[in-house]
Amino acid sequence: MKSFLRDNSLGLVFGLLFLLVLAGQAIAGQADFNDRQLTDGLPPVPLGRYLTSASFAADVAENWQSEYLQFFLFIYGTVWLVQKGSPESKSLDEIGRESDEKQKVGRYAGPDAPAWARAGGLRRTLFSNSLGLVMGLIFVASWYAQSVAGVAAFNEGQLGDLQDPVSWSQYLAEPDFWNRTLQNWQSELLAVASMAILAIFLRQRGSSQSKPVGSAHSATGVEG
Amino acid sequence: MAASALTGCASVDERGDAAAAVAVRLLTAVQGDDGAGACAVLAPETRAELIDSAGRPCAEAILDENLPGPGPIEATAVYGQWAQVRLAGDTLFLAVFPEGWRVVAAGCTPRPDRPYDCVLQGG
Repeated sequence: MKSFLRDNSLGLVFGLLFLLVLAGQAIAGQADFNDRQLTDGLPPVPLGRYLTSASFAADVAENWQSEYLQFFLFIYGTVWLVQKGSPESKSLDEIGRESDEKQKVGRYAGPDAPAWARAGGLRRTLFSNSLGLVMGLIFVASWYAQSVAGVAAFNEGQLGDLQDPVSWSQYLAEPDFWNRTLQNWQSELLAVASMAILAIFLRQRGSSQSKPVGSAHSATGVEG
Repeated sequence: MAASALTGCASVDERGDAAAAVAVRLLTAVQGDDGAGACAVLAPETRAELIDSAGRPCAEAILDENLPGPGPIEATAVYGQWAQVRLAGDTLFLAVFPEGWRVVAAGCTPRPDRPYDCVLQGG
């Protein structure tokens, strides 16, 4: 048990932190929602009602979609884009999808390789792109969820302001939808650019996301 | 119905029907000179605003607000704690309270790119 926890501590700790922070968001979000209820002369809503509200769903989904977009772009982008000196980049001479031998697929697959890496055709193509595909699909699904929850939350505000509600397609042209979307995208893109560039010159001893402390600034594709 | 409207467990159609019934109740009461009945379905701030502005009890003041009689229901929209009920001749906005839907604004006419102009509203 102890070794299981240690061997999986990265996923477990971040999974647990995710649940704790989501709970914190729910409590803070309910308080914020109820502040607005009181301002409008309306009674506060209980936590259970807030957790099933469009407002909470939109706030959660808008952040999820941007995180998965970040991973999707980073995973696909780093096939062809490199950053000299960055541990986030592969070597400058490896741009592209690389050879079957380098990727250990087909006849180059080892005995412990996943079955779909050894297979050919659609299965190998799917498995070879599965990480990016799944990140991309979760991005699309959560962006769609943001739009559906967002239009309901937006319309709740519209009615509270004594204005007509809008349809889903009208909402896609509303500043609220694009403000929610783009404010998250810009921060994710800044984070990727910062990580790729700062890691050229800065180090974090022992971290898989950093070059070894003594590595040259020009060393590319080296992780600690 | 009040409990389900508050918790949001009822379907959107059921919640819309409940909101529309309260809207019709208000206008029917006004049409029948039942000021107390009409005031009973107003939101607290709307009732207080009416009393403040008229300087008279709600049950008397609401009968002088020139609210139209209840026309046929044309559409209802429900989002979260709010509902809009469109009747032929009037549009009303309602919100959820512990007792169920209550009318926040009535006698509302649309204005382009601005909030509805309402004869009766809270706040």
